[in-house]
Amino acid sequence: MSSSSTPDPTPHLDLADIEEDELEVEHEHERALGEQRGAQGERRRNWVTLAWAAPGFLWLGFFLIAPLVFIVLMSFWTPNTSVGFVKDWTTQNYSDLLHPFSLDNAYWKDMWRSFQISAIAVAACLVFGFPIAYFLAMKVQKLQYQIALFILTLAPFWTSFITRSVAWAYPLMGSHGALNTFLVKLGVSSYDNPLLNTQFTQLSVQLAMIQLYILFMVTPIFFLLAQVDRHAIEAARDLGGNWWSTFREVVLPQTMPGVVIGSIFIFVLTMGEYGTVQVISQGAVTTVGVYIQTQIVGTQYPQGAASAVLLVLILILGVFAITRFSNLREDI
Amino acid sequence: MSSSAYAPAMERTQDTVVKRQYKSKRDWAKWGLATYFVIFLVFLYAPMILMAILSFQGYQGGVTFPFSGPAGLDWWRSIFASEVHHGQQVIFTNADGIRTAGEGSLWVSLAAGAIVAVLAFTLSMAFRRSFRGDGIAFYIILLALMTPGFLLGLGTQIFWKAMGQETSLWHTALGTNTVWGIPFGFLVMMAIWNRYDDHIDEAARDLGANAARTFGEVTLPLVWTGIFGAFLFGFTLTWNDFDRTALLVVGNLTLPLEIVGLIQAAALRPDLYALGTATTLVSIAVIVTFLVVLAIRSRFRRTTVHRVEEELGLGGGIDAEAAEQVVEG
Repeated sequence: MSSSSTPDPTPHLDLADIEEDELEVEHEHERALGEQRGAQGERRRNWVTLAWAAPGFLWLGFFLIAPLVFIVLMSFWTPNTSVGFVKDWTTQNYSDLLHPFSLDNAYWKDMWRSFQISAIAVAACLVFGFPIAYFLAMKVQKLQYQIALFILTLAPFWTSFITRSVAWAYPLMGSHGALNTFLVKLGVSSYDNPLLNTQFTQLSVQLAMIQLYILFMVTPIFFLLAQVDRHAIEAARDLGGNWWSTFREVVLPQTMPGVVIGSIFIFVLTMGEYGTVQVISQGAVTTVGVYIQTQIVGTQYPQGAASAVLLVLILILGVFAITRFSNLREDI
Repeated sequence: MSSSAYAPAMERTQDTVVKRQYKSKRDWAKWGLATYFVIFLVFLYAPMILMAILSFQGYQGGVTFPFSGPAGLDWWRSIFASEVHHGQQVIFTNADGIRTAGEGSLWVSLAAGAIVAVLAFTLSMAFRRSFRGDGIAFYIILLALMTPGFLLGLGTQIFWKAMGQETSLWHTALGTNTVWGIPFGFLVMMAIWNRYDDHIDEAARDLGANAARTFGEVTLPLVWTGIFGAFLFGFTLTWNDFDRTALLVVGNLTLPLEIVGLIQAAALRPDLYALGTATTLVSIAVIVTFLVVLAIRSRFRRTTVHRVEEELGLGGGIDAEAAEQVVEG
């Protein structure tokens, strides 16, 4: 370990090292049992942890962190019509996006539309998803039924969002879709002048976002509701609380983290949607994702990157605002 | 205590009133919610069921209702065979493109599944004990979960362009897809480790097994369902992905890209629905496989435990149900 040619200022440490080496040979498997809590054992376990962690984080570094960093770098480079970009630093891409900073600007118009769709989707998923999670967690008593119904609820998550969008847009929506046909049969709509205009419209996209993403709200709320202490609910009832006050004072505070996590998921993922929006609206509805995709396909890499960076900033602001409703670290 | 003398004489109305009220209220809410749950399931599944129904239309079929008969398998055949004969007429199909896309999808999903399984497992092994910076490391994994697929595809495209490299299915789309699968696999593995008893490992070591043997013969057989779960997450998420792949590849190399390709074709035909239903069935088959494996394993495991308990005469050990009955009785 330490060479004997150089004078060592702390010879005792050296001796201790040698002793410890001998000890290690003698008590190797005792050490392996975790009985030795010495600095060397700790160091070795740190190496083991590092070895386990390294492949995963190298992979994530290359395919997650580096791409995200390069979006930021690219947003400050100069656009070039022939090769896409040259590495000259500029802030022109941002000033192009920020002038004019109003809904006359196609970028902000699309951003505002995305935000509307996303905010309504979050609210609707919460309102319509909470009773589902509540039913599964509180009203289904038998564990087998609970698991079976939960899997039935969750199964569509494992199917393609693109396929679900196709199934949404063509057989269901539109003036000759199943929904309008049903409304015509009820006598409240007609084929020529449908009650709900869902032929590749924003309404159709809006409803689809709720249908596609509601599982992201049901799942976290379900898991937290399942953990709510039933004795606390009984105690609240015994102390004279009615259903609403028990729900508000006992159940809701314990489920807030689930609501927050679900809201973050839906907000972030719907703001970034573009494939499903294009399928459902046939290009008639442009969201910020569609806007950026158009730039990238047109090899306007720096402009697209700047658009994406502003989107990410808005996503971070949104997530920050949502987390104000619950202290996730303490509540979970 | 003196009041106890009056107790038998007192009417216990309060008890009965509370009980009756509680009971009737709960039942009403339960059935109301159950009805709502059924409506919710219809909302969730109706589009896919309608799509499946329309895929069985006859030769004249379009993409909307009304159903155009006679019902048949023409459109299902058309996603597998290059030509489908309908009487004298020959329907030309997209089967060649679909076959290429299907193979691409299958191989890249299997590869993504394998990578996710390995990396989710190794990452979770690191997190079994706390280490410096594990908070930030955990947030990086959550970031992988939270980043919209579209942004990641975009970033990868820009990153590789900046390096002067071309993006492709196997170089970039595979990587970005695993990034979406890793956090899911990781969370599955963490759930497994939370229920895992570390004393089992220690017992193996006490009995003389070294680290490698303990890992191979004790740890791995106990947690492989979690690893398998991570594999399936990686597989299905890649199998179904569009946003992460679309920006990075040229041409219809996977089934979701092929489906969007069919939509952009001049005339929409029910073969789109047959293909969509087929890919959905594969996904559902994967979930069912996993559940069956899980069920078989848990049954197998339970019988083993019982056998050991009987052999050792521990049958009346800790039995939660029996204990509850004792308490209630």
